[in-house]
This record gives sequence, C-alpha cells and structure tokens, in this order.
Amino acid sequence: MEKLLTNYYETGAIILFGIGFMTLLLNNNLIKKIIGMNIMDTAVFLFFIAKGYIQGKEAPIISGNFKGMEGYINPIPTSLMLTGIVVAVSTTAFALALTVKIYEKYGTVELDKILNKGE
Amino acid sequence: MLIDSFPLLTVLLLFITASIMPLLKKSNLVKGICIISFIVSFVMYLATLNRVLKTGDYFYRVGHFNAPFGIEFHVGTVECIMGILFTFVAIMVIWNSIYNIHFDIREDKIPLYYLLVNILIASLLGIVFSNDMFNVFVFIEIGNLASCGIVVVKDKKENIKAGMKYLIMSCLGSGLVLMGIAFLYSITGHLNMTYIHNELVKNYIHYPRTILITLGLFTVGLGVKSAMFPLHTWLPDAHSNAPTTSSAILSSLVLKGYILFLIKVLYRVFGIEIIRNFPILNIILVLGCLGMILGSIFAIFQKNLKRVIAYSTVAQMGYIFFAIGLGTELGIIMSIFHIIGHAVTKAALFLCTGAIIQGTGHKNLDELKGVGKEMPYTLGLFFIASLSMIGIPLLPGFVSKWYLALGSIEANKTLLIAVILASSLLNAVYYFPVSINGFFGEENLRGKIYKSKSKSLKELLPIIILVIAMIYIGIDSQSIINLIKTGLV
Amino acid sequence: MKDEILEEVAKVIIPLIQVFGVYVIFHGHLSPGGGFAGGTIIGASFILYRIVYGKEKASMKFSYKRLMKIVSFGLLAYGTMKGYSFVSGGSHLNWPSPPLGTPGKILSGGFLLPLNIVVGAVVGITMYFFYSLFDEGEI
Repeated sequence: MEKLLTNYYETGAIILFGIGFMTLLLNNNLIKKIIGMNIMDTAVFLFFIAKGYIQGKEAPIISGNFKGMEGYINPIPTSLMLTGIVVAVSTTAFALALTVKIYEKYGTVELDKILNKGE
Repeated sequence: MLIDSFPLLTVLLLFITASIMPLLKKSNLVKGICIISFIVSFVMYLATLNRVLKTGDYFYRVGHFNAPFGIEFHVGTVECIMGILFTFVAIMVIWNSIYNIHFDIREDKIPLYYLLVNILIASLLGIVFSNDMFNVFVFIEIGNLASCGIVVVKDKKENIKAGMKYLIMSCLGSGLVLMGIAFLYSITGHLNMTYIHNELVKNYIHYPRTILITLGLFTVGLGVKSAMFPLHTWLPDAHSNAPTTSSAILSSLVLKGYILFLIKVLYRVFGIEIIRNFPILNIILVLGCLGMILGSIFAIFQKNLKRVIAYSTVAQMGYIFFAIGLGTELGIIMSIFHIIGHAVTKAALFLCTGAIIQGTGHKNLDELKGVGKEMPYTLGLFFIASLSMIGIPLLPGFVSKWYLALGSIEANKTLLIAVILASSLLNAVYYFPVSINGFFGEENLRGKIYKSKSKSLKELLPIIILVIAMIYIGIDSQSIINLIKTGLV
Repeated sequence: MKDEILEEVAKVIIPLIQVFGVYVIFHGHLSPGGGFAGGTIIGASFILYRIVYGKEKASMKFSYKRLMKIVSFGLLAYGTMKGYSFVSGGSHLNWPSPPLGTPGKILSGGFLLPLNIVVGAVVGITMYFFYSLFDEGEI
C-alpha cells in the first residue's frame, strides 16, 4: 500500500483513467462521451510523462551553461507524448464534427433516442 | 543498395501521392494516380521478397541514427508476404471501384475518398514493417482516422451513426494500447522490440503482475479494433452501411493489420517461454471459439445481404484467434495462412455483393431470389467464393480447417475439432440459400429476362482475378506454408 | 459583428499575434515551441480575423482554393524532405544535406528549420478550417 502512496502521480493517473473509462461507457449524451474519451487520453499522458521524472534534476532546456548529461530529467517520454496530444486533439475535432452532423440529421444528441429512431 | 529501402519508399510514395490529390479536379486523373501508385508498390514488394529469399531478413534503420535511439524496420519473409497481399487486394478493389464509385458518393468528394484510401493502406503497411512500439502506435492512430473517414464519406443517416460508434470504440482501443506501451516502457526502458525482448527475458520473474496487466491491456485493446468476440458490436453496422469499396477494404485488410501487431507483441516481444506462465493464450482460445460459433448463429438471422457477410467476418476472425491461442508453431503458421486466404475471399464476396446491389437495386435477401437468371456470372463468382468459406476441398478454407484440426490434436485439445466442424456446418446454413435461391426454383424465375442486368466483362475482370488467386492459394497451399515456416524465427 | 472599437483594436493586435507566432516557429530548435505551438498561435489570429470582420471579408482574404494549395504543397515538401533524409541515412549513402552548424545559432540543425515552418503553416490552416467547419457546417 505504501508503494501506491509514494508514486502518487501514477496512482492519480490510473484513478483518472478509470473515471474517464466509466464516463465513456455509461453516459448517454454524445458530448459527455467525447469528454470521457479526452479524460482517458489525458490520464495516459500523465502516467507516461511522470515516468520520466528523476528526483533533484531540472527540465531539459539549456539556459546558461550546459550541465552535462546528469543534470536533466529523461526527455524521451515528453517528446513522445507531444505526438500523442496532437493525435488526441485531431480525434476530438473529428468526433465533434460528426456529432454536429448527427444533430442535423436526427435532431437529438442522446444515444438511446438515436438508436431507437434508427432501426 | 537502394533496394534496401524499398519498404520505406512504398510507404512514403503512398503518403506523397495522397497529398497531391485534393488539388486535382478531374476524377479520372485521381483514379489513375491511385492505381499507378499501388502497382509501383506491388512491384517493389516483389523485388524485396526476391532479395529476402536470397540473403535472409535484415534490419533497416530509418534516418541517420542507430537503434535503440532511432526507428528501424524489420524486413523478413512474413512481412513481405503481407505487403504483397495488401497491395494486390488494394489494386483489385480500386480497379473495380473505377467503374462504380459514382453510385455511392457525390462527385466532389471522390478525390477526398481516394486520399483516405491511400493513407489507410500506407498506415497498414507501416504497422506490418515497423520494429518500434511507438512508431506502430502513430500508424495505428492514422489508420483510425482514415478508416472512420471512408465509412462516413457517404452522407446518409445510418452511415454517420455507424461511423460515430466505430470512432468511439476505436479510440477506446488505442487508448488501452497506449497504456500497455507505457507499462512496457516503465519496466524495460526501451521502445525497440528486440531490445524489449532481451530485457524481459532477463527479469520477467520480478514483475509477474505488471506483465499480466500489460498482456491484458494489449489483448483487449487490439481485440476491440479487430473484432474479437464480445467486442465486435461496431462491426456489422460499419461494414454493411459503408460504400462497397470501403466495405471490401475494411473487412479484408484493416482488421488483419491489427491482428498482425498482436501476433508480433505476443510472440516477438514477449516470446513463447514467458507467455506460457500466464493464462492469456487460453482466454484467446476460448474467445475465438465463441466467436466462431456465435458469429455464424447471428448471421443466420439477418435479412440484409451485406450484414450476413459482415457477421461472417466476425466468425472468420474467430478462426484466427483460435489459431493464435493454440500456442504452437503450427498455430501461428495457420493464422497467417488464414489471413491470406480470408483477405482474398472476403474481398471477392463484397465486390460481387456490390455488383448485385447496384445491378438490381435490392438489398434484402428475399427480394434477391431469382437474381441468377439476370446476372449469372456475378452470382457464379459469389458461389465459388462462398464454397471456400464453407470448406470444400481444393480451396483455402478447407486447408485452414484441416491444419487447425491437426494443430488441436497436437496440442491435446481434441474437443475443439467438434467446434470446427460445427462452425463449418453453420457456415453452410447461411451461404448456400443465397446461391440456391438465386439460381433455382421455378417461381423465382418467372418474369425475369436472361442476362438483363448482367455486368460487362470489363467490370467483372477484377473479381475474376481475385477468384483465380483464391483458387491458386488453395491449390498451392503447401509451398506457401513452407514459405511462412522459413520466415518465422 | 459590427463594432467600431473591436475593429480598430483588432487592426493593431492581429499583426502582433502573427509576429509572435512566427517567432515561436523560427526559434523552435532553440527554445520551447516549434511547429505545433506556433501554428496554433497563427491559427488563432486567423480565427480572430474571421470573428471580428464577418464571413464575406474573411473568405475573400482566405479563400478555400489558396489555402488548400498551401496545405498540399506543404505536405508534399514535408514528405520529400523526410524521404530524402530517411533514404540517405538508411541505405548508408552519403548524399548532401543542409549543414549542422553550431548549436545556438538560428541556421543550425540541418532540416529542422524548414520542417518547422511547413508544420506551422499546415497546423495554422487546419485550425482555421475546423473553426469555419463548426461555424457554418461546410468549409
């Protein structure tokens, strides 16, 4: 149990992932589903970036003189997640555009009413 | 030594030709560029297969940095076979779509459609070849958006609802896959598949629970995207409402790319010794069996012809998961062989269905009785392709079922032969009535004129080439199986 | 909207936003920022222009055809530069490439500067397309 409390970033990320997952599955409104998807993706980014932190070192930007390799934290997770954030933004934008089109054709944004009207 | 970079050059060529397409106005020019780019890719993959067979597989570094800092491609026999398969089926499907794409989509959206097809096939080829975990994730996300795009480009009500469901479930799947990659990175500190494998072999004993969670995340995440049994609910809507070309590409190619990534993760990153300590292979086996039986049972009750074929895809994916779950070398070989056979057969089935629906204008099964007198050649090709699904000898379906039965005897699970036989019988129950009602029965044929709505030979030629390729794969199966066996390590 | 104060203030602020965006793009390899962040800033300035001046004047200045041409040629240039660098590295050929220079100067880092400019342009135009898509329903 104390391992969960010392790595509090990772614990917080997993709790946030669970919240986003439940919002995505259990809510009826399409906009809330998209919000849940965003929360889930953000939780994964937090988990990944928190793995790169080394205690006592600083951010990898050269201001002043170069401190050698041991003065900075691990920069690889941060740069990978930059790509992930761009992907999440474009998927959210595409999903919102589809929601606008669904609203024009069906007149409602609630998922159970859409499923009943369709078939 | 430019022949080394042919796999990378094909992916780049498909992306670059995709970015020229929005500028052109005439759709004939767009279709011509699309077909030429796929033919060039096909020739390049044949040359690469030739080279790999002579000198063995190699690692190709991308850019100026060596692994583990840079990305590399692993080019082997199995990957080259997959590349040839994807580009061949894509050429045939797009050749068929030249004549009848304007039935489904508005005229000004045609360049956008071919752009999405190019990007989708390029991302699938990237998943097959790449050896770096995060690179595969980026290609998965590109494929997500492109495959959802080719479903919604037709502007009807049901399409957009099906596309929305597909997008949400796909995004869920790739979120789970990213979490799995995060767990693997936190244990080993590398992102390159061979380096991860070396690290895991040394210290997997210290992290039993983490590896179990990671395996579960990868299986569920990739299972959602490739229609494993309880997670397949997006597939019938998306594949049956899409335009014909999109259904053919989605059903035969897109699902296979993700299964290939699952095979790579289970057998190349983790390795067979680590996997045996966890119950994950048995779970995949059970879910595969359920998919085989229940997919066929759902297909019997459907009324729309395209939905029948979409549920049949769920059942065939069950075969591939069954083969992965067996855990022997024969299992992996048969899963790759079934991927090859199923891709060609399902593409032929969907293209025949599209021709029938456009020729007669009816979609439901009871309105399609007697179509055999009006379009005899098309229904004949449909009949030959459905024979392969059922399991008649000399066709690839029979070869898969025979070797799967041999594999389940070898793994001491003899009860599973009953499952294979039951699913073959269920396949026959829903495929035979379509052809029989089409050709025979006097009351069906009254009032119809012979060959009135038949398509010309020029339009049927891609389907004929696909059926001939399917028969060739069935006859020559032993040499293909030996080729796959030399490619696996 | 037809508000005099808004138009006059926007006339001064929009060029300043664009200059800042161009600075973030060009200094991408020396300080935080780069293609994506700078492109978003420039896209925000386009959206502000469209909100203040209305739809007709905005579609005269930023027409669909011209923006699509910039996006297509930008992606083509990006693909060609990346392909050149990948193939020359992977096959161990020694083709000429832009010089690496000394770290800390603006003309250093090989291909980084042109790639950042292309990415900034494409991201900015994509942001503007998404806004006009949600506002109207069609581009």
